[in-house]
Amino acid sequence: MNCESTQDQLADYMSGQLPEPEHSELVAHLAGCTSCRAELEAVQRVWRTLGKATTPEPSPNLRPEFYAMLADFKSTLAPEPKYSPKGLWRWLRELQIPQPALRLAYSLALLLVGAVGGYWLNNQPKTTPADQQQLATLAAQVGEMRQVMLLTLIDNPSATERLRAVSYTKELDGAADAKVINALLSTLNHDDNVNVRLATLEALAPLAADPTVRLGLVHALAQQESPLVQSALADVMVQLQEHRSLPQLRALLKQANLDGTVKSKIEESIQTLSTGRPAAPATTPQRHDQTHVFPRAERPALAV
Amino acid sequence: MSTAEYSNNPFIGLDSLTDNALMLRVKAGDVDRMGLLFERHHRALLGFLYHMLGGSRAASEDLVQNVFYRMLKYRHTYSADGEFRTWMYHLARNVLADHVKKNRHAAYHTDVANVADYLGGGHLADEGLEQAQDVLVLHQALARLSPENREVLVLSRFQEMKYGEIAQVLDTTEGAVRVRAHRALKELKTIYLRIEN
Ligand SMILES: [Zn+2]
Repeated sequence: MNCESTQDQLADYMSGQLPEPEHSELVAHLAGCTSCRAELEAVQRVWRTLGKATTPEPSPNLRPEFYAMLADFKSTLAPEPKYSPKGLWRWLRELQIPQPALRLAYSLALLLVGAVGGYWLNNQPKTTPADQQQLATLAAQVGEMRQVMLLTLIDNPSATERLRAVSYTKELDGAADAKVINALLSTLNHDDNVNVRLATLEALAPLAADPTVRLGLVHALAQQESPLVQSALADVMVQLQEHRSLPQLRALLKQANLDGTVKSKIEESIQTLSTGRPAAPATTPQRHDQTHVFPRAERPALAV
Repeated sequence: MSTAEYSNNPFIGLDSLTDNALMLRVKAGDVDRMGLLFERHHRALLGFLYHMLGGSRAASEDLVQNVFYRMLKYRHTYSADGEFRTWMYHLARNVLADHVKKNRHAAYHTDVANVADYLGGGHLADEGLEQAQDVLVLHQALARLSPENREVLVLSRFQEMKYGEIAQVLDTTEGAVRVRAHRALKELKTIYLRIEN
């Protein structure tokens, strides 16, 4: 056995994949050849360095995000109408616009509007109607980009991305169009992640002047199984003084597996709505410990 | 969602099933079985992607999700006589190739910032920093290998795969893998000598 073929086999030797009789032959050659032993030592150092490198622990998000993705995938297996909003979002997602690229384009557009707008305002004390027109066009384009961002991200397998999508609602300054509202309502009703559903509710509540949103929120009551979302929705109904939610709230009470705390909360909400008393401000501590809520009149009207 | 939700092991009684049997159930429509496959393989897969990408945990985790998503989406392509692990790494290579194509400038993320990832991974502070530096140097060295040579080395050293299995993952012959492993190690040795001197 010569030195060249010996050195060719060192990788196999170290990974334990050198068969007999090559193995014995290699060991015999090494015993008598200093240059091959030096070579072995050198590659062994590299091999050991490789062996010492460990992988970091997965972040705490990895597992929940996997299960959210799995649940999301499962929901796509159920047959649904071809042109449903969900189908559209899925199509948008399948386009696979690289998110960093999309986000970059979005940031650039914001910068551009800021820069151009600032320049005009600083250099032209009297903005002409034409300038204002252009500014308005630019602003409208940014608004559209926000919507595209929102619609693209809201069906992302990652809950973090969906939360980000929902957070764009605020930046739309109430200019959410029907597509966005449908997407948000669909997320509120179907997202597998409670945090995403809660954030969506929070984003939708300020838009309740829109009758579609208002009605969507009323109907969402029947869709929710999480006690957290049920309570939050009941709160919103009271704040909106939404009497149409009364049948939905009463129907919820009949659910066999209703959480005890939620039950009292809903009874309280029904009471408040049907007696027409003003809605409790959001800062009022929620009295989840309360087992009976009647008679309500004994409770001082929000004096606490 | 908290990890506590998964602490009640929903897989009792399934533990004895092989990866192959589980994946066949996924293929038949019982997609929840992917959960146990995730539990069994996500760490190793993360390791493969992490070393292939040059140590970016966040990017590697995104790709882990992507691999599991593709396994669900293309579950019908899984064949009963295959090895699950081979198939998984096969898809992982595709995901990796797509990622590199899309992020040409960040193909290999070696970066000092990755040390923070590494330290954030629960390593002890003292030995952690030294280890993190070693890993950084290793990734800088690995970055200079061709992706083909790098992946043979990562699969054989980190994933402890034998040449035969690597050949299946890479769609090539055992002999070709053997030659690549040899070349990769020799190259890496030279690179290390250069870094050290
Ligand atoms: Zn020799």
